[in-house]
This record gives sequence, C-alpha cells and structure tokens, in this order.
Amino acid sequence: MEKLNMTINGKAISVDVDPGIRLVDFLRDNLFLTGTKIGCGKGECGACTVIMNGKAVTSCIIPVMRAQGAVIETIEGLGKNGKLHPIQEEFINKGAIQCGFCTPGMIMSSKALLDENNAPTSDEVREALGGNICRCTGYVKIEEAVMAAADRMRKGE
Amino acid sequence: MKYILAKSAAEALEALLAEEGKARIIAGGSDVMVDMEAGKLAPQTLVDITTADDMKGIRIQDDQLIIGAAVTLTEIARSPLIRQYFPSLCKGAGSVGSLQIRNSATLVGNVVTAQPAADAAMAVAPLDPRFVVLSKDGIRELAMGEMYAGFGKSTLNSTAEVVKEIHIPLPADDEKASFVRLELRKSLSLPMLNVAAMAKVTDGFFQWVRITMGPVGVGPTRAFEAEEWLKGKALTPENMAEAGRLALHNAKPRSNPLRGSKKYREHALPILVRRALEGIAKQMGLLHFDN
Repeated sequence: MEKLNMTINGKAISVDVDPGIRLVDFLRDNLFLTGTKIGCGKGECGACTVIMNGKAVTSCIIPVMRAQGAVIETIEGLGKNGKLHPIQEEFINKGAIQCGFCTPGMIMSSKALLDENNAPTSDEVREALGGNICRCTGYVKIEEAVMAAADRMRKGE
Repeated sequence: MKYILAKSAAEALEALLAEEGKARIIAGGSDVMVDMEAGKLAPQTLVDITTADDMKGIRIQDDQLIIGAAVTLTEIARSPLIRQYFPSLCKGAGSVGSLQIRNSATLVGNVVTAQPAADAAMAVAPLDPRFVVLSKDGIRELAMGEMYAGFGKSTLNSTAEVVKEIHIPLPADDEKASFVRLELRKSLSLPMLNVAAMAKVTDGFFQWVRITMGPVGVGPTRAFEAEEWLKGKALTPENMAEAGRLALHNAKPRSNPLRGSKKYREHALPILVRRALEGIAKQMGLLHFDN
C-alpha cells in the first residue's frame, strides 16, 4: 500500500492505495464514485473520462499513483447544492441521452473543453468529444447540448 | 507492485537499474496500462517519467528543437514553437487516438512502442531526429532508423534504458516538412496509410527529400528510391506523381481488416506520397490549390 494525496471533486483526501491499480478502479471501488464507467478498458471509448489537472483523460489508462498531488473531477462533482451543472441540464433538455452509459464521459469531456473555452466552434466541440463513443444515438444532440451549455456558461451560470 | 514517480531522468535510470530488469518505464501509459490489463506485461515496478522535471518542456537550444520525453501529444499539437518550425509534427501528434489519449500519451512513447501505424512517430521520422538515451553505459544518441527492431518491438530495453529527449535540427528557410494520412473516420481511428516528408527546395528544385511511409513495414519506412529519383528534379505535378509510383518499390502494404486490402492500399499509397510532396510545395509557395 502507498499513501496517495489528491483532491477529488474539491475535497482533499489522503488514503492508502494499492499502487498497481488504475485510476478508474480507485474511483469506482475505493471511493464508490461509480458515475465514471468502464467501457473498453483501453482508452478508446471515453466512458471513463475524468478531468485531471484541468485535462480530460481516460482514467482506465492512468495508473492511480499518477494522481499523486493531482486535482481530479468526476461526474459526481458537477452538481452543486442539489442543482445540476448547466452541461448536465442541457444534455437532458436537448435529449442528448439514450442509455446514458457514455453520458458521464461525454459530460466530463465537455466540461474540460468549456472550462478552457466557453465559446467553442463546432470543430472544437467535435475534437473534444471525438474520444467519446455513443452507440445508441447520434452525436448531433450532444453537440447541440454542449453549445447550449456554452451559451449559459458565457452568461455566468 | 511498486510505483516510482521519478524526479529526473537520472533518478528514473537509477530506479530501473536497481531492480535489475524487473522494473520498466511508463510514460503516458496508453500502451503499458492496456498491456498490463491484458496480462501481457507484469512488471514488479513501474518507473513513471512524467514527473521528471528534466524530461518536460519544449525548447530551442543552439540550432536544435528539443522535446522532452514526458511531453504529451497535446502539448506538441498545441505548441506555438513547434507550429512555427514543423506544422506537420503538430498535425501528426494531433492525429493520434483521441484528445484524452493525447493528453496523456507521449511522442517518445509513440516511437518506443514501435507500432506500425503511429502518426506522431511518422510525422517526426523525416525530420532527422536524434533520441537521447541514458543507460548504465552512459548517454548515446540514436537516429530514427535505429529505434525499431520489429513490429511492436523497439531496439531499446524499457527495463534498462531511458529516452530523455528528442533533438531535431531546426529547418533552414528552404526546408519544409509535411504529414498526410488516410483514415476511415476523423478520430479514434488508426491510419489506413500515413506518409510524411521533408525536403530542401531551391528555386523550385528538390535538393534532397526524405519520405517515410506507414504502416507498410517495420516502423516508418523510407522511400529511398523515390527520394533518390527526386534529387535535382523540379516540383512539378508530374514529378511528384512519379515519385509516388516509385515509393511503392520500398513499401509492402498488406491486406488488413482495419486498413483495407493490399490492392487498395497499393493504389492509395502513391497518391498519399504525392500529397505529402504537394504539402511541401504549398508551403514553399509553389502550389496554389488544396489537395
């Protein structure tokens, strides 16, 4: 076991972890943050996307110890005081969800983009979400949701 | 398992050597983590180089562009410094996997894993890079052609050697590079073919050309015959198309369920080589259409 210090969804924690596991396993099995999904397990589907030090990463290819000193955000950290984040609300408003398995990863990729750039072009949205695969629906509603959320975030929400 | 966050390249090497073959380097992790999960790798210790300060950053020193081994593909794709000298390297690095993968994966990793379809490795290949390698015997520099031992097999030993950084000679004003790829979709897709080139062009004539192609063999494959033929030739559409045809003499595209049939890929490769050369012509102001 190794000591791991990190900030998860705004809270500083210090825990003992098995250094041989993946970040996604730590989030799901140790912290019970099961909103982060495991799809392909190879970094190719984007279901396990979290934000690490401001960048979207697929947590199934990140060794847990790389989170040492890192600031990690997961889907569970988005809502504040019982209110959903504008990106979450717009995914609902636009019908950008079917089964929902890819949704947490889609939303975390969107948040990483909009935190850095709240007026993205369509190409920028597509680059940011290109690593998130949805097998139910298309991507049109998802892009619309991100654009609608960007509008709201520009207005200070 | 033990996990060591190395603070420097020297510390990473020391940690490897102390474990006598039972430790291995991890950079971005996009291959190592997948191989471990699949049971193909089971190191006792991982030595993480992404925390090594002397392996981070992109800088110019003397007449060299220096890229640390811990630099991610996203950092390369978005680097104004690299864009100024080698826009093709930004394009190649920006073509790998997805944004999430590029936020973690590295250029050196893209070379050392020695996969035949690596876009970043392909884009750097014709730039005459030198890989600075630390081992128990000291420091040595390896050229691109010395990095590959076979399909998915590097000449380097990740349990005893550390690549610290890449040195790339800065181009003269009349030297330009390009990168093109053929794919089924724009993201998360391995290339069916990729080609990179660099050339020195004086008064509309090729002085020298380096062309690399993949995946058509082990690592980026040089189109030596086309390169030799182009020397002293004008940058005309006919010459660039002929070079594309000659490039086939050095390439062995095979049928592959992900990349298309041998026949199709043999048809497409000359076109990609021509486009790579047109990319150079365009940057030299010698071609005024989009290909």
